[in-house]
Amino acid sequence: MRRDIFQAIADPVRREIIEIVSEERLTVNEIADRFDISRPAISKHLKILEECDTIVIRQEGRTRFCEIKAESLIPASLWLDQYRKLWEDRLDSFEQYLLELKSKKEKDES
Amino acid sequence: MKAKNSASGAVVTMERTFNAPLKLVWEAWIDPQHISQWWGPQGMETTILSHDFKVGGTWKYSMQMPDGNAFISEGIYQEIVTFEKIITSADFKPMTQGVELQMLFESLGEETKFTFKVIHASEAYRIEQEKMGIYNGWGSVFDRLATFLSA
Repeated sequence: MRRDIFQAIADPVRREIIEIVSEERLTVNEIADRFDISRPAISKHLKILEECDTIVIRQEGRTRFCEIKAESLIPASLWLDQYRKLWEDRLDSFEQYLLELKSKKEKDES
Repeated sequence: MKAKNSASGAVVTMERTFNAPLKLVWEAWIDPQHISQWWGPQGMETTILSHDFKVGGTWKYSMQMPDGNAFISEGIYQEIVTFEKIITSADFKPMTQGVELQMLFESLGEETKFTFKVIHASEAYRIEQEKMGIYNGWGSVFDRLATFLSA
């Protein structure tokens, strides 16, 4: 079976895992707690996601953390979110600069 | 997921209302002296290589990364309606090429409504890009940028 991003997102549970892990770093148990399905089933999905190179599971002491590999999502059309973030940041930067410019002008005029 | 693909292709739309009059918003957006101050997030240094603000004119900006690499953004203005609209083609090398940016300005008195659209090429083009393995090329760029932005 191929192991790529398309395989990773082929299943709704995996899509949801991707979504929650892309927002924050969670332990395997924390992820399992968010679903009504069995822990072994979640473990299986995590294993597939790991094999698809979509997440990394890191062992820290007794805890296993899941991290998203953001770059792996780019080919699966989720890259639009990445772009949105970049543009949002740029518009934030513009807005901040604009407001500085405005207050400077107001000062000059008064 | 917040951004969905529609059958018509991939469009990212953002709307902002800026607390500044239209004239100032317009100037800050088009004046190269101003652009160099805000184009790069968090004060990342931007060099304006060219800025020919007219239809058919080219713009080219370079963002210097701390690791020595540069992001080049460039395009050609397609349509300019003063205080109202700017449409330009844009390439962001090496991340994506052939997008269209649309910027719409609308005065709300002391405030300005700003609509920003990034129109990605057709779905077919996108899929083609995926097949070409944008993975490797783009992934590392986003990684670097994300690392830089979170630093």
